[in-house]
Amino acid sequence: MSKIRRAIAALMLVAVSALVLAACGSDNSSTTSTSAGTSASSTSSGDTPTTSTGGTTGGTMTGYLTSSPDYMDPALSYTQEGWLLLWTAYTPLLTYKHAEGAAGSELIPGLAEALPDISADRKTYKLKLRSGLKYSDGTPVKASDFEHTIQRVLNLESGGTAFYLPIVGTEAYVKNAKPDADIPGIVTDDQTGEITIKLTKPVGSFANVLAMDFAGLVPGNTPFKNMTTDPPPGVGPYMVTRSVPNRGITLKKNPAFASFDIPEIPTGNMDQIDITINKNQHQQVEDVIQNKVDFVNDPPPSDLVREVNEKAKGRYAPYVTNSTYYVFLNNRVAPFDNEKVRQAVNYAIDKRALQRIFGGLLAPSCNFLPPGMKGYVKHDPCPYGDPTQAPDTAKAKQLIQESGAAGADVTVWGDDEALSKPVTEYVASVMSDIGLKATPKIVEGSVYFQTVGNQKTKAQAGFANWFQDFPHPANFMFLINGKSIQNTNNQNFGNVDDPEINKLIDDADANPDLDAVADQYAKADRLAIDHGYIAPYGNAELTKLVSDKIDWSSVIAQPVYNVDLTQIRFK
Amino acid sequence: MASIDSAETGFSTDLPPEIAAEERRAPGSGPWRIALRRLRRNKVALVFGVVFVLLVALSLSAPLYAKHIAHTTPYKNRIADTITVHGQQKNIVDFDGTPIGPTWTKQYFLGADRNGRDVMVRLLYGGRTSLLIGFGASLITLVLATFFGLMAGFFGGWIDAIISRCFDVMWAFPVILLGVALGVSLNLGGITVGPLSLKGGSLWIPTIIIGISYVVYLGRPIRGQVLQLREKEFIEAARAQGLGPWRIMFSELLPNLASTLLVFFPLIVANAVLLEAALSFLGAGVQPPEPSWGVMISEGVDLLTTAPWLTIAPGLMLVLTVLSLNIFGEGVRDALDPRAKIRMEH
Repeated sequence: MSKIRRAIAALMLVAVSALVLAACGSDNSSTTSTSAGTSASSTSSGDTPTTSTGGTTGGTMTGYLTSSPDYMDPALSYTQEGWLLLWTAYTPLLTYKHAEGAAGSELIPGLAEALPDISADRKTYKLKLRSGLKYSDGTPVKASDFEHTIQRVLNLESGGTAFYLPIVGTEAYVKNAKPDADIPGIVTDDQTGEITIKLTKPVGSFANVLAMDFAGLVPGNTPFKNMTTDPPPGVGPYMVTRSVPNRGITLKKNPAFASFDIPEIPTGNMDQIDITINKNQHQQVEDVIQNKVDFVNDPPPSDLVREVNEKAKGRYAPYVTNSTYYVFLNNRVAPFDNEKVRQAVNYAIDKRALQRIFGGLLAPSCNFLPPGMKGYVKHDPCPYGDPTQAPDTAKAKQLIQESGAAGADVTVWGDDEALSKPVTEYVASVMSDIGLKATPKIVEGSVYFQTVGNQKTKAQAGFANWFQDFPHPANFMFLINGKSIQNTNNQNFGNVDDPEINKLIDDADANPDLDAVADQYAKADRLAIDHGYIAPYGNAELTKLVSDKIDWSSVIAQPVYNVDLTQIRFK
Repeated sequence: MASIDSAETGFSTDLPPEIAAEERRAPGSGPWRIALRRLRRNKVALVFGVVFVLLVALSLSAPLYAKHIAHTTPYKNRIADTITVHGQQKNIVDFDGTPIGPTWTKQYFLGADRNGRDVMVRLLYGGRTSLLIGFGASLITLVLATFFGLMAGFFGGWIDAIISRCFDVMWAFPVILLGVALGVSLNLGGITVGPLSLKGGSLWIPTIIIGISYVVYLGRPIRGQVLQLREKEFIEAARAQGLGPWRIMFSELLPNLASTLLVFFPLIVANAVLLEAALSFLGAGVQPPEPSWGVMISEGVDLLTTAPWLTIAPGLMLVLTVLSLNIFGEGVRDALDPRAKIRMEH
């Protein structure tokens, strides 16, 4: 009898262990979620004015981020979470329209009076600061603050450093590491507000670089150190009044901003925005569905998509981001040095299948450039068949036979993140189906891109994706430009090096008139697909999900910064 | 409680008087026969022993099931395909990424996973992998622990000091941490030692890692037992006959360790299977697309709400395997030496 009792006790013990084993890998953090759950409650004020479109301004909105922003310092932040918040408090000289879709990719003057005046040789940019601007602490904004802002980016070894290195003298500034040294390529006049930027070579996307959050102006006396816990004052609809890493951030409306009367930049509807870091995505979704919190930034976990679709009708919608998910095929390594093999992979990948791996949050595509990007021309018909239809596996098998690569060993690389792993396994399975001998190789996420970006690895094929830094095709096309190939930290994973594509991209990259060169990018995209240099399969979708108290018409998915917090308002 | 002298049976024990008397009456009973008789009396242990044999048989039948019943392989992805279940056409993986649940038919008996693979097929193949690693690792543990335990216990002195300190260092590392550290690094680049070369992702890597991780847990008790045995008269007698140290170790001491090794073996297998599951769950054990129960639990966690079978099925198999091995192992221990307090401590 005692043995039976022991057996039952042991059974229960092992069952509990198995459940603990299953649970310990999830993102749930009970400590965080408990505190977040109790602290997050929407408190919209009672007597708030009504906007012309029916919503009400004022009140405090609450929201969840799954990950803490990397930094709450505009010079350093290089994550979506950081930019989502910092864009509301630090306006650069140029910025983007607060609009959804392609309109949101349009550059507009921010703290500058107008878009830059670009010299004939495309190497000099002249801007003029708006007059009467003040930081949120009341300090007047000076033209020389721009140089200090860029100095901080370079001196703090920010992830954004590379974007500003085309400015004359910046490489020497970085090399000398003297914070107060002058950058000769930036000339400012505090009296007139004029700012002149000289480049070493024409960079067609430099206006977009000026609109990046790294260039969000901060006062000239801002220290050369990470200011995440005490963010500097900025010029924007909101100001950061609380920033506790891994806990939360509070944005308060900047009362002075409306008086600057900057066209096309909203002055903010909410009085305050309280953001809590909550790693438990299941709780995030439950809380927003039950209206305990007003906004969640991350898409619902795949196992909750169905529930969200049912319970949050009218306040949940996916939107396509300027991103591309693709399989890189190493053009320098067999069997992918053979065009037929690359094309066979393109024929064989079932984009509908990958869409399901993404929980439906993937828009199948045949292009490398995403649809929200200038230069995007839909490949219609797609040379490998309609991306929303079944693949042509027979054609793929035939190409493999013709190429003589049947039975070739292929390792498909991927990382252990939620999407990459099943995608990598799927791609390996597809390659095996068409006659190759493919096995997936899953690497820890933090070292994945360094590993496949090292030429010594000779990674044959693998998972890759790219989210825009700014809405300019140059920010995508460098990934397939032969000139960007490096021995280490290579981002052209497939070593794509086609002279015709390189020339098209190089010529277009040097021209600041994007409208004039958009067709060159489109042609380069088409060539890359025709030759099967890469196998793009879609554009990721993010989601807008808010509480029932929010006016849905005010929830704008801005293509650069995602949900525009400055426009959200209560019903 | 009557006590039977170890000289009489070979194993010291405490038994109820009537059973002890019966064992005394049995003519020509050797120690192994007595142990077998005791094991036969332990019905619970026998039942779980049979359960374990069934699990092994099921796992070994995986290729037959996959080929002749499910008509698929454990690697075949069928995400965008459909199947007919009871006359209805169904998506194997739905548009929102939810895989089909158990159909209780030949195909997708236990449903599909996120990649549209047959869970039942992967479960059986996973069992094969998990048990193969469990047994392989346990054999490695057994050989290494016996060798080092014998060396340390018999020679003593500086050899004992070095081996014991190495054991101490290994003991200081939590076994999971040690396994993860070794697993992550070796699975990426593989390992080459002299002529021996293992590619990253080889099943030998988790097998060797787990085998080495448990050496200390068996090596220490063996060393302790050897320390006791080497002072016994029969060892003195062997020395007096001029037998060398290696001969004494392997022909005199080793047979006396047999019962300990026999008791420990199923317990180590159970722990090795569990550790394999834990390492694979954490990405440091069996590498995709190779199925194992730990890999399957890990893959199912993201869909715990909408596709719980992905986690429950391998979890239950794991529970059954470990439970049956543990209870059968305890039965073996009770049969060989009911007074023993042998436990896997970690």
